[in-house]
Amino acid sequence: QVRTITGKVVGSDGSALPGVTVVVKGGGQGTSTDAEGSYSLSIPANANTLVYSFIGYDSKEVVIGSQSAINVSLATNTTGLDEVVVVGYGTQLRRELTGSVATISGADVAQRPVQSFEQAMQGKAPGVNITTPNGVLNNPPVVRIRGVNSISLSSAPLYVIDGIPTYSGDNSATNAPNNPLSSINPNDIESIEVLKDAAAAAIYGSRAAGGVILVTTKRGKKGQSKVSVDSWAGLTKAFRLYDVLGAEDYMMIKNEAVRNLNANRVLVGATGNNVEGFRPTLDANGNMVDTKWYDYIYRTGFSTSNSVNFSGGTDKTSFYASVGYTNQKGMLENNEFKRTSARVNVDHKVYKTFSVGARINYANSYNAAPSTGSLNGSAFGTAGLGRLPLVLPPNIPAYNPDGSPATNGAGVGAGANVNPAAPTSALAPGYYNPVVDLAYNYFNSESNQIQGNVYANWEVLKGLNVRTTYGIDNVGYEDKSFQTALAGDGFSTGGSASNFYRTNKRWVWQNTAQYDRTFGDHNFSLLLGGEQQKTDQQRWGANRTQVADDFFDTFQGNFTNIAASGNFQGENYLVSYFGRFSYDFAKKYLFSFNARRDGYSAWGNDKWGNFYGGGLGYIISEENFWKNSSLANSLSFLKFTGSYGEVGNSQGVGDFTTLSLYGSGLYGTNATIGYNNAGNRNLTWETSKKTDVGFSFGLLQDKIQGDFSYYRNTVDGLILAVPLSPSKGVPNNSIDANIGSMRNQGVELNLKANIFQKQDFSWVVSGNVTTQRNEVLGLVTEGQRIGTATSGLETVNYTRVGGSVGEILAVPSLGVNPENGRRMLSIVNADGTGRTTVQYNHLGGGWTTLDGQPARTPNQLTDGEYYGPVLPKWYGGIDNSFRFKEFDLNFFIQYSGGNYIYNGTKAGLHDQRFWNNNVDILDRWTPENTNAQWPRVVYGDNVSNGSALVMSSNVEKGDFARLRNVTLGYSLKPTLASRVGIANARLYVQVQNAALITKYSGIDPEISSNGGSNTGAGVDRNSVGQARTYTVGFNIGF
Amino acid sequence: CDTNQLDPIPETSFSDQVVFDTPARIALQVNNLYAYVKSGSFLGGRYQVYGDVRADDFINRTSNAVTALQVWNHTLTETSTNDVINTWGAAYSAINQANVFLAGLEANSAKYVVPAFAADFATVTVPRYQAEARFLRALSYYSLLQLYARPYIDGNGSKPGLPLRLQAETGAGGNDLARSTVAEVYAQILEDLNFAEQNLPTAYANATLNTTRAHRNTAIALKTRVYLTMGQYANVVTEANKLVPTSAPYTAARGVANGLNSSIVNVFASPQETTESILSFPFTAQNTPGTQNQLGFYYLPTRNDSVPEATGGGEYYLNAAGIIANRTALSITDSTADVRYAKFVVISGGNSYLAKYPGGTPYIDKAPVIRYAEVMLSLSEALFRTNGAADTRALALLNAVRTRSKGTAYASFASTDAAVNAVLLERRIEFLGEGIRNIDIMRLNAPIPGKGSVSAVPPSSDNYVWPIPATELQTNSLITRN
Repeated sequence: QVRTITGKVVGSDGSALPGVTVVVKGGGQGTSTDAEGSYSLSIPANANTLVYSFIGYDSKEVVIGSQSAINVSLATNTTGLDEVVVVGYGTQLRRELTGSVATISGADVAQRPVQSFEQAMQGKAPGVNITTPNGVLNNPPVVRIRGVNSISLSSAPLYVIDGIPTYSGDNSATNAPNNPLSSINPNDIESIEVLKDAAAAAIYGSRAAGGVILVTTKRGKKGQSKVSVDSWAGLTKAFRLYDVLGAEDYMMIKNEAVRNLNANRVLVGATGNNVEGFRPTLDANGNMVDTKWYDYIYRTGFSTSNSVNFSGGTDKTSFYASVGYTNQKGMLENNEFKRTSARVNVDHKVYKTFSVGARINYANSYNAAPSTGSLNGSAFGTAGLGRLPLVLPPNIPAYNPDGSPATNGAGVGAGANVNPAAPTSALAPGYYNPVVDLAYNYFNSESNQIQGNVYANWEVLKGLNVRTTYGIDNVGYEDKSFQTALAGDGFSTGGSASNFYRTNKRWVWQNTAQYDRTFGDHNFSLLLGGEQQKTDQQRWGANRTQVADDFFDTFQGNFTNIAASGNFQGENYLVSYFGRFSYDFAKKYLFSFNARRDGYSAWGNDKWGNFYGGGLGYIISEENFWKNSSLANSLSFLKFTGSYGEVGNSQGVGDFTTLSLYGSGLYGTNATIGYNNAGNRNLTWETSKKTDVGFSFGLLQDKIQGDFSYYRNTVDGLILAVPLSPSKGVPNNSIDANIGSMRNQGVELNLKANIFQKQDFSWVVSGNVTTQRNEVLGLVTEGQRIGTATSGLETVNYTRVGGSVGEILAVPSLGVNPENGRRMLSIVNADGTGRTTVQYNHLGGGWTTLDGQPARTPNQLTDGEYYGPVLPKWYGGIDNSFRFKEFDLNFFIQYSGGNYIYNGTKAGLHDQRFWNNNVDILDRWTPENTNAQWPRVVYGDNVSNGSALVMSSNVEKGDFARLRNVTLGYSLKPTLASRVGIANARLYVQVQNAALITKYSGIDPEISSNGGSNTGAGVDRNSVGQARTYTVGFNIGF
Repeated sequence: CDTNQLDPIPETSFSDQVVFDTPARIALQVNNLYAYVKSGSFLGGRYQVYGDVRADDFINRTSNAVTALQVWNHTLTETSTNDVINTWGAAYSAINQANVFLAGLEANSAKYVVPAFAADFATVTVPRYQAEARFLRALSYYSLLQLYARPYIDGNGSKPGLPLRLQAETGAGGNDLARSTVAEVYAQILEDLNFAEQNLPTAYANATLNTTRAHRNTAIALKTRVYLTMGQYANVVTEANKLVPTSAPYTAARGVANGLNSSIVNVFASPQETTESILSFPFTAQNTPGTQNQLGFYYLPTRNDSVPEATGGGEYYLNAAGIIANRTALSITDSTADVRYAKFVVISGGNSYLAKYPGGTPYIDKAPVIRYAEVMLSLSEALFRTNGAADTRALALLNAVRTRSKGTAYASFASTDAAVNAVLLERRIEFLGEGIRNIDIMRLNAPIPGKGSVSAVPPSSDNYVWPIPATELQTNSLITRN
């Protein structure tokens, strides 16, 4: 008896899936779905189960029973073995890969309250470590693929959008960061591939050392016409802010510090005549001022994002088009990000063998930020909003009684405080009143980016495709700032406005030929290609100062002075030849080899470099002996891979750095020409030797899938800005040279388990963990250590052979001496053997041994010990997805640890100048409280707690687990949806950055005040932490 | 592909191959040597500030580590960036610019032929340029010595001085160089200055150039300062005599007519180009001193109700117990006061501030390096020291500087010490805020006076001289700490 089953197969978003294979389990009968996702299949009587499978989706088995119509919904499978993986200049099946490629689906980055897609990739892929260095909107995250792979050049990956390399990093000239990757609407992304090892990345040759991130945008699917609307709205708030002293405690602590100072002065025979100058300021109503500076700086920001896209396709043409608008207001006043974007992706078959297409994206993005002091290089700014609420006295007001901001010169008004050392004068902090910056100043960066490519592909003969692609990526940035003359940074210039215009222009022309051929069990694929890339970058600008009248607050207003500012002009050119050969035998034995020859204009005498990577794979589970063994039931897939290759790094090298150059400047009214760059014509590529061995597996019919790999990158010929003796006076005190080597190694484990999969309930867990160990193998000279300064002032990080990059060098602190409340540090004895404990008494004899003998001042270079690494030893993420009927719940945890952080903010929070303190200062040493956490407070003491000296009491472990995202969604039943005329609808609520578990005492263990500096990670100095965002959203498909 | 594109030529910088191709480019390179010495971290502002705030005439108001708090506080360490590291770096950058220029000037001598170059370029212009370069190198070494090395009189120059860099440095090698002794560095300074004196032009075409480029009198004037610092008073007299006539009017007979202006207010009035200013560094709105380097920003009070026109940063105010407390020295009576007090001291918020650099933003008042009045007072001191208190010429010189600002003239001195102390006191008043004070303390190996809660620093103390910067210690294995 034969009967016929009919039905329709749809994806989890409700759209019809054409081409789904439907077979009878254990039998030969099968069919596939048509353009509407429908099928009809005749089955024998003994058939009891149907299997639905489709590339990129989880297979599903359905018991037939007595049904004659079976409708099925398939869930996408983002790590499926049979998914198509985008690789450089082509695609491959995951099953056949020999290289290490991680895939993140577009759905994982869409609808997140972030500005650029890579912010949403945190924790999602093994081997990809992403940190958010501060909470300023659209600040580029720090992305490290398999560790830090350079010291002087960039360790950031190469970003390639639909085949065209794009720009990354902060391109703004103002305090408002502008990351060009935010031009891409995350909703437009189909998938993101991360190429990690040489077998995968060597096709990108000289730019592959830091890994490659390939972004593929969505395209229309044949036979589907879809309109989709995605919207969300949310609130952003700060959390985990420091608890600082209120006015009363502040005055009590500081006046106590003055009394202790007087006692110290008397002790050394001087007069102790400092006055207790911290006095209550009264407001107009006679109440004591108790200013919560945080309240002026943080807010609840409202954000919204809306995208509409439509897509579809016929046999000849498919298209995807979208428009998007997002407006995100951050937790900081004046911090805003807006993006308007539009995309058109078209593919069209002109003839049977000839097709053309285009990917075009336009985006306008507007970034505004106050002076946050959180961007790289600004940690010690007196305007930084990360710092001001920590240092400003709480007993002074933000506003005068008449409503104007309280100021004194550039700084905040003194209130009633008087200078303890000079009681005739008010104690005017040099720090700024933040309300001035927030009310009058602005910093913004607006960019217009057009990015895209057109291609033509001709299938010359069966399996042989020649393709030409021409791409452009042009961005114009208009950066503007204004600083009022009233107070703050604009005070000394009498008001200041700057405008900058920057253009990044790039064209890329790629020509490839690919030939795929199968002879029996032998499958060959050969790709050959050539590529040229030309990039021009320019910026010009000017700074106008001394505003004619406070009325003016734009550059076009009237100012008495103008000076050129921010000018640069550069160009570079990259020409390349590349190829890939892949071979497999019976889908069991896999081999691939990539090579690329690059010529780059920035290098000196030797512009050309050759790079390669090869991989081998063995899918043992394809062997008959395996298939026939009982093992196959449990271990259904097992593949071993190994790869090796050498790739280069040129990312971040200056366009003209190899030339010995003379710049031109001014001496008064006269022009100058002077030596300003020490060139090294022998400078050439850094070479990264990448080894990868691993295996991937599927257990229990691939219900559990995973992969494991061990990686090792050895970077040779590291370019170092070789420090020269400052007394040589060479420009920048350094010269770039290919000296030094470094190694990163670790293991990656990635697992995904369909723990429970039923009609009404499913539970999928995926997770990954990566370890990394960095070791510097060689620097310029033996024993050399390279210091990396934080914002040019404080050097915490040192890089040396045998350590990992940028370890913290801190003088060991032995806590507080219960006898006298002095900070105790350990210094090296004069003869170099052993250590002595010394203690500090500010202006009361300074450094002495514990028995009171004068001792030398501890110093970091002599007495410091290393704390490292500053990069996590392990990191990863765990993703849990539950579905119960129409509800879905997802929570995603990101974790990281094993690293040290220098909490410089904590040093500032316990400084005994007029600076405000953390409330824990109340546990300071007093004769009554001898077992105290903090030393006896002495006014003016910036030594005991670390402001003037990097000490181990401010070094902390950085382990954390963060509930990065929790989402609860409800989807309309398909039957109900179709009744109201829509294909699918989902409503959701989500919390981004919902919780943080850490012992780290600072705001945020991810903070990096040195941004993406390779050798300056792990420093927390006055930066703002990440916000928490609550959103509600929906998506509807028609 | 277009392989030419692999060799792009920068459009905003010159290759080192072409900068000696024309006389104009070489002339611009000379300007550049001055621009480096004028760096905001060096003699374009901060060096002068450090010279004053180390001592006791100023009180730090803002507790800002970026604006010389640690210099004022004597809490510098070898990692203090803004002062210890940056001053060293800026001075040696200037020195190397001079060395690179001198080497390039010689290496490219084959190019100096007609028609591109004037016929006498090699014989006349080149030595002039060499003289300017060597003058600036000498000025840089001299200035560094006053902070980073023990005074000459402490051991007669035998103490460790500075690494003496005289080669053009453009590459990787040669990091290691030990410190020459103080005496050896002074010997080089004097050799450079002697060469400069012989080869510098006697004068330039206009007052601006005469104040902002070195001419023969500039070299001589600096030599008086160098010899004074070394305690070689007879040499001070010899050199100063080249500039200072035996009696009033005090105007140099040769070269630029440098002389004592009738009014110190004129000397500091814009554009500060009187003949009294032998060398000052110029600024324009396009070429500003840079943030937190401006002399006016450090010393002028901030704008407030009592001084609405002030646009300073009020970083330092005058110590009420410092020189301004000396009413006798300042000739303060009910009806009159020394001009230098009456005109250069303003009261704001209950404190006195120095208004010698009144221009305010964008702070283009010139940064003074050496004035004719200094040569006169140096000569006066040297004469007193060599001839005793009765030297009438010394007395006349001292009184000339003093009385032009309405100071009460000294009649006579009871002892050489009294006479010398009067000159030192006069220098303290005359050069307040010009960075001379530290020189006057250190050259005598005298204690640095304390102020407020900051204790005095005796010459025996470690922090009497600045530490050698950590950046140098890390890279130069032959360097030694102070």
